[in-house]
Amino acid sequence: MKRFLTTLLLLAVVASIGFAGGSQDSKPAAAATGDVPTIRIVGKDFSPAEDVNIQFLAKVQAGLEEYTGQKVKLELVKVPDGAYKEKLNLMLMGGDIPDLIYFQGGDEAIAKQGLLVDLKPYVDKSAVMQKALMDFNKKRIANYPYLLWLAPPRARVALVREDWFKEAGGKTPVTVDDYYNLFKTLKKNHPDAFVMTDTGNTNRMDFTFEQAFGETATWIKQGGSYVYKKVSNAEKEKLAFYQKLYKEGLFDKDYVTTKWDTMEDKLYTNKVAMVFGTSGVVCDIYDTKLKKNQGVGLVALPPAKGVGQGYAVSTAKETRGWAISTQSKNPDLVFKLLDFMATDKGQLLDRYGIEGIHYTVTDGKYAFTDKKSDWWPRFNEVMSYKGPLPVLGPVGAKSWEFLDKYVVGDPDFPIPADLAPTWDALTNLYKEYSFKIITGEYSIDKFDEFVKKWYDMGGDKITDYAQGKLK
Amino acid sequence: MASSVRKRIVKDRQMYLMLLPVILFFIIWHYIPMWGARIAFQDVRYVGANQWAGVKHFKMLFSSPVFFNVFKNTLIISAMKMFIIFPLPIILAFMLNEVSSTGYRKGIQSVIYLPHFLSWVVIAGLFISMLASPDGAVNKVRIFFHLKPISYMTSTHHIRWVFVFSEIWRSIGWDSILYIAAINSISPTLYEAATIDGATPLQQAFNITLPAIVPTIITVFILNLGFFMNAGFDQVFNMMNDAVINTVDIIDTYVYRVGLMQGNYSLGTAAGLFKGVIGLFLILSTDKLSRKVTGEGVW
Repeated sequence: MKRFLTTLLLLAVVASIGFAGGSQDSKPAAAATGDVPTIRIVGKDFSPAEDVNIQFLAKVQAGLEEYTGQKVKLELVKVPDGAYKEKLNLMLMGGDIPDLIYFQGGDEAIAKQGLLVDLKPYVDKSAVMQKALMDFNKKRIANYPYLLWLAPPRARVALVREDWFKEAGGKTPVTVDDYYNLFKTLKKNHPDAFVMTDTGNTNRMDFTFEQAFGETATWIKQGGSYVYKKVSNAEKEKLAFYQKLYKEGLFDKDYVTTKWDTMEDKLYTNKVAMVFGTSGVVCDIYDTKLKKNQGVGLVALPPAKGVGQGYAVSTAKETRGWAISTQSKNPDLVFKLLDFMATDKGQLLDRYGIEGIHYTVTDGKYAFTDKKSDWWPRFNEVMSYKGPLPVLGPVGAKSWEFLDKYVVGDPDFPIPADLAPTWDALTNLYKEYSFKIITGEYSIDKFDEFVKKWYDMGGDKITDYAQGKLK
Repeated sequence: MASSVRKRIVKDRQMYLMLLPVILFFIIWHYIPMWGARIAFQDVRYVGANQWAGVKHFKMLFSSPVFFNVFKNTLIISAMKMFIIFPLPIILAFMLNEVSSTGYRKGIQSVIYLPHFLSWVVIAGLFISMLASPDGAVNKVRIFFHLKPISYMTSTHHIRWVFVFSEIWRSIGWDSILYIAAINSISPTLYEAATIDGATPLQQAFNITLPAIVPTIITVFILNLGFFMNAGFDQVFNMMNDAVINTVDIIDTYVYRVGLMQGNYSLGTAAGLFKGVIGLFLILSTDKLSRKVTGEGVW
């Protein structure tokens, strides 16, 4: 018995050492299999463990081979489970740097060390990219040439329940006052519900209202110099408006503890009339789910008109996107992959999914299957792409129409690493004051105290930095 | 000397073999990673050797306008948890010891152990919905008694108490196991003799049970002090919101936000190292103090 136990324990020790070595899934593969160049790709929710991704990749590989006329091998790299941004950075720091990397932030430190390829010369030479990129994308790539992202800006569009909206007159609001009147009517008709909610802060609803109050960019001209929008007079007016909405029961009392899932739940269970959804397919998802739960859809509303009107979109840099590693042995070929995915053939693959699973073609006619709702583009969404079937439903399409019409470039800039702790502190200060003002714990007069504190805590340094960056 | 040690190891080889995986675990997951703490003094490079940066990241950390607020929050939340929660499992163990029905006691024990196995994500969800204003269960009760509803999760006056209460709810049962075990190891003859002498249950608790488990209490207290600066990342991260961020932001959440999420690994490591040094200082000084006062220490 003792010998048996001893053997068992020895096995346990050997196993524990083995497991301590960790998974070898993400170990760099050979740069080439024989003479065939290999492109290693790492992306969010793009794991080699999922069969559908492997099937998709095989189709992309075949398409790329046809596009370039050469043999290529595509390989997906597994990112350890957890928050993608965090795990990706740790993987890269461990020395495993794939050829093509999708970033959701954290790319600047890597770009600064010369590990990301300057994509501007490639983009300038590519007719496909010139057609696919929107103006704000081009500005971003000119300012920061390491990330490429072909997708509409992630603006949040106001979505209101169709039946309640029609009941309230059904007239599309234009100005802030129009919106306020609509909110009052909605509340009068449905006193038990809030008109709108947000997720932890007011970032979503800001897309609809900020420009109208004069926050036309992250740094706005006030008295001859640039001022951060959150400490501007326009912000004070916007917060006073939000305070009024909160006080009158129009704005959800629990918005600060609301997460994206509870926000959706409130919409589907008649607790709110409006939410703010990411333009495009997300709007369609909300619409479909509301129809399923309440038998009624949503109506997309435009941003409010005032001093300005629109969705401010930073032109400083892409906040997410694809980068090519300077460690790659085939950067030209890697860019060809991005190029191919932006073509109509690439977009058909990326947007429609896999033929036979997500869509079918019978006698040249395309039809989506039930599994289409499980599919999302792994690479890009070129806004100008027109496929054989509309990819978006009416609400999603309307939200894109608003984007096309109302997107306004915002000449923002990234905060440098040495000012990051100060920026973090200033952001927290804003969070505290804005919440207290909106909920009425502080009067709007406290805004001036916040502005003073903001500058005293290091906002003056960042403002000085901004004057240099924006001149 | 060396041969006697060898003899003892050979004699108890099966015991040492059983210990080996634990030692390996600590070497691999706790000691080897300590070498990584040197990046607090370096500028991290993704390819090639890191560059020596001296105390640059510590300077950046201490000059941050929020760091001392974060440090203060860590101390306050830790102290509240330490001094309010610490006696409760002991009291619970005493109470359970007095329950004569074995079935009833085991039933209670099972129920109070269960929350320990829930993740903080689930617990945060429960507390957020229970404490919501005005629709949460707690506020419904307040409204029933004509009291004004309170938004506990967004109130800077209440949120730390929510942490304490939720921690009690989750841990009190599990933490009492050690004390129940210590109480069970007390010889029943002591209680029998005390009963014959006419001691009441309360007198027995104070004169037999408590003195017998004092070494356990001290050991647990000192070990807990070593984790004093761990104010509870999972709990705070899941329960934090914009309204209370400046009241509950602790070193761990700061490290996660500024270090991991923004890719400032050196800065994050500097903050973590600072926390670790304080923890080490606390455990060593408490051990020394305990030896002086009670004659008992950890080692």
